[in-house]
Amino acid sequence: MKKITDERLIFKNLQNIKVTYIVQTIGILSILGYEFVQGGLEGMRQNPLWLVFILTSVVYSYLSMSVSIDHEEKIKNPKKSLIISVGILFLIVLVIGFLTAITPNFGWLDGLFFGAIIFICGFIPCYYIFRIRLKQEEDIE
Amino acid sequence: MKNNVKVARIKADLTQQQLADSVGITRQTVSLIEKGKYNPSLKLCLQICYAVGATLDEIFWLEKEEHE
Repeated sequence: MKKITDERLIFKNLQNIKVTYIVQTIGILSILGYEFVQGGLEGMRQNPLWLVFILTSVVYSYLSMSVSIDHEEKIKNPKKSLIISVGILFLIVLVIGFLTAITPNFGWLDGLFFGAIIFICGFIPCYYIFRIRLKQEEDIE
Repeated sequence: MKNNVKVARIKADLTQQQLADSVGITRQTVSLIEKGKYNPSLKLCLQICYAVGATLDEIFWLEKEEHE
């Protein structure tokens, strides 16, 4: 098959992929919705499509971050915004960790463990945004 | 965006297919550009200009109301 070099057709192809993605997502949501009605939240989460849906949502969210940052009206200082984000994340982690630790049947170790997971999961997007902002700053200069 | 692609192409003695082949696009795209139904990228605009031996401002321009 010959490689498509026509920019109009490449763009059209991308639009087709967009439509396909929309149809696919509607299909996945319909199946998950059916599973939810049939077997509740647990039944829905047992379906491998749930993993596919979550994975694509995470990938889409990460890809959207670069768009959101370029769309920001005011250019923010990367270091300052990273410190603020990590500070807020740390507060959230402290609260959740503390609440987990004081919950019956859970100990301080569980609180620490749960807090660490949330901190890692929250720190990765904060650092990713920091990297994009740094790159944006370099591009502007 | 307005353009003079058709006139320049005929002046350069090229068919739509020949122009399309020289810049790596399809004949349909050349046709749509000539009709003003598709706005090519700057890179493609320049490739077309080089293919027909003209400058960018001779081939492509914006009407006054379009850039206001």
